[in-house]
Amino acid sequence: MNASEKRLNKNFHVEIIPPKQESENLEADLNLFASKLERVIESGFTASITDNAMGILAFQGHECIEELGLRIDPEKVLIHLNTFHTIKNLDEILASCMRLGIRSVLAISGDGSTRLPKLCPADVGCENALSVTSVELISYIRKNYPEFRIGVAFNPYEPEKHEFEKLDRKLSAGASFVITQPIVDKNPVIDKLLNDYAGLSVTIEAWMSKKLYLLSDVVGYPIPEDAEYDPIATLEKLRGLYPQCGFYLSLLGFKTQYRLIEEMA
Amino acid sequence: MKIVVCIKQVPASNDAKIDPETKRIVREGSKAIVNPFDLYAIEEAIAIKERTGGEIIALTMGPEKAKNALKEALSMGVDRAILLSDRAFGGSDTWATSYALAKAIETIGDVELILCGKQAVDGDTAQVGPGIAEKLNARQAANVWKVEKIEKRSVTVKRINERGWDLVRLQYPALLTVVKDINTPRIPKLRDALIAEKAEIPIWKPCDVGADPDLIGLKNSPTQVVRTAPPAARNAVTLKIDCKPEEASDRFVKELLKRKLI
Amino acid sequence: MKLLNEQDKLNYKNVWVLAEFTPEGDVHGVSFELLGVAREIAADLGCEVWAVAPVSEITPASYALIHYGADKILAIEDERFRYFNDELECNVLDRLVRKYRPEILLGAATSAGRALMPRLASKLHCGLTADCTELNIDRETGELLQTRPAFGGNIMATIRSGNFRPQMATVRPKVMKALKADYARKGSVIRETAENGDSVNIKEVIEAVTDIQNAVNLSDANVIVSGGRAMKGPEGFKLIERLAERLGGAVGASRAAVDNGWISYPHQVGQTGQTVQADLYIACGISGQIQHLIGMQSCKTIVAIDTDDTTPMMQMADIAIKGDLFEVIPEIIKILEKKEINKGEN
Repeated sequence: MNASEKRLNKNFHVEIIPPKQESENLEADLNLFASKLERVIESGFTASITDNAMGILAFQGHECIEELGLRIDPEKVLIHLNTFHTIKNLDEILASCMRLGIRSVLAISGDGSTRLPKLCPADVGCENALSVTSVELISYIRKNYPEFRIGVAFNPYEPEKHEFEKLDRKLSAGASFVITQPIVDKNPVIDKLLNDYAGLSVTIEAWMSKKLYLLSDVVGYPIPEDAEYDPIATLEKLRGLYPQCGFYLSLLGFKTQYRLIEEMA
Repeated sequence: MKIVVCIKQVPASNDAKIDPETKRIVREGSKAIVNPFDLYAIEEAIAIKERTGGEIIALTMGPEKAKNALKEALSMGVDRAILLSDRAFGGSDTWATSYALAKAIETIGDVELILCGKQAVDGDTAQVGPGIAEKLNARQAANVWKVEKIEKRSVTVKRINERGWDLVRLQYPALLTVVKDINTPRIPKLRDALIAEKAEIPIWKPCDVGADPDLIGLKNSPTQVVRTAPPAARNAVTLKIDCKPEEASDRFVKELLKRKLI
Repeated sequence: MKLLNEQDKLNYKNVWVLAEFTPEGDVHGVSFELLGVAREIAADLGCEVWAVAPVSEITPASYALIHYGADKILAIEDERFRYFNDELECNVLDRLVRKYRPEILLGAATSAGRALMPRLASKLHCGLTADCTELNIDRETGELLQTRPAFGGNIMATIRSGNFRPQMATVRPKVMKALKADYARKGSVIRETAENGDSVNIKEVIEAVTDIQNAVNLSDANVIVSGGRAMKGPEGFKLIERLAERLGGAVGASRAAVDNGWISYPHQVGQTGQTVQADLYIACGISGQIQHLIGMQSCKTIVAIDTDDTTPMMQMADIAIKGDLFEVIPEIIKILEKKEINKGEN
């Protein structure tokens, strides 16, 4: 593990969603994005910027940074990159990140929508693949942009054997760190991951919304809408359980929770 | 080359929900989007302009909020946009709409190429494109999936049909309606979206385009809606087969035979 | 043409059906279906049914139009009608409509019909209703009532264009029922040709290519077997193809499968693909995004095969089979093959 990976590892990743394409007030949304980004980086956390999350068209993080001329530490930025792009667009994003000094990317399959194009196997030089998954995306980035450190997702709710095999493919394609799906307690699959892949940088996603039921699709069973959930307490607990891991905070409330997180760190 | 792209703002279709009683789709939500087929027309216009140079004008008819559709076209790369909007246009059917749009295109002047999506996904009529073409005395090709050649006086395209495709050459002015397969519409860049946000979009009224008030709007449209009704319910009972593959297949084939489907 | 007054209505008579032909010169099935509904309308109005046939040359095959219900064939012979030329056909028909003044003009909602009819309606200044599922005569006014789905099939709208003549409508293939052919039916042929004036501002059709790879006639298919994301790749589509072949059907696909390059775009069913109304639609591993459902909800019997029985497609289906596609489909093929052999022995 090199020095920068270690730092990433002990960090909080704070998820930031760039303004949507359908934004009613683009400038206001951009300013909000900028203020969140700056705050996260000032706190010494890593800003994790999503890529058309849930298939909803949004502007790209690098565009926002470039357009606003934000002076931020690029080492504190992780961009998500999914398989719903044209190859031209994918190259543009990666080239722009190179210019900005951003060197961390989370390669995921992602969510499509009718408006989003999908990478084809031929685009990324994997003619034999049936479709482009994160594995093909990783190989492509590794080959053409070797400067990037590539992270991948890990889902403890998928069939275990299948998920570990997929992880192996992702790692051998060139991934070097992992961000998991959210957990709310000690998780045997995560334990196995930490045990079997000692030395691999693992960041655990902590669910920072009180609406736990939104995770129903992720965990694969219905969570009642009125389920009691305390995100901050859960995060505290997880940090105790997994002191060696960093935490990825999704849906963090900047008004209500951010100060508490800063204190915690 | 001067190109006009005609677009339409349509309601977005959201997640599919099925009414358990009628087994029909329940539509909800009223978010407005650019008609998906029109995005291909916009992209193709940009691709043609990249080859030939010239100017692209996006044109739509609709209420004030249809400006958002034009802004999306601008952020994709069209040069300017015009909104045809007035109460007098309200309720126009496809004939009256084609007439109004054709008048606007005449007003723009010297237009060689007009691009439209194959059809709008709300009405599904595919009538406005050919309607405009006729009114402008323009040649037309519907369901174009490839623009083969752009020449000084003509455009050569492939249009698909049920059996294959035709190669056709159209002298200008020509109107093409395009299908999905023709290209991959670009996603607007932030910088272009910010510029589009500030763009001035002129609103044209009937008098600005010299439209005869007796030929536009609901009252003057040849077609009139007499009534609307919910569609007949689909077969409301779902036969569920949930057993081992051998047994399931056997039950299924027997069911098809029973229903005389094979 | 806008009616000048009540009296002017009497100047228009008869129901016209714009016939379509295959490149081999046979009448397209949809034209027989249109003749079927035209006969009903003509019975209500007490008038004749004319089949309008723009052809390179009238052949014995064209007389089928009479067997299926036409009283007259208006044959417009011109070598150029071998190919579909929107402007030429529009100009000729515009002239002949003004000459013979039909009260109603019906066309097929095929790729050609959907391009020609609106151009003609524009030129004639009359109403046109696309994709009608029902055509009736209003008993009081004698007007044509045209019913079509609107808003992606959420509403059925009934439309009139009573102040204009002819009243024009298109109908998709397989929506109306053709009459049984009556080979004893007699009719006559009226011959017309394209005139010089009809050739103004027409395009050049350079070639017409039959391209099996890129032409999938899903709108004509009685049976469609469609595959989605869960088919996992081109290999999965081999299964779909085999099942379709067994059932004598066509292969359809969801957008996800097309976008992944497993199968070509003409196979795509849905809002940005084709709208289909097969008798039997078998959706394999298609969850049923609304854009897909809009394109196939008019199919008579919908079958869904999937592991997840909570998807919209499984809920909409008439028959929902829960199971592994890669186990269930081969089993179905096996049973169908066995039946085929048994039939052979009988």
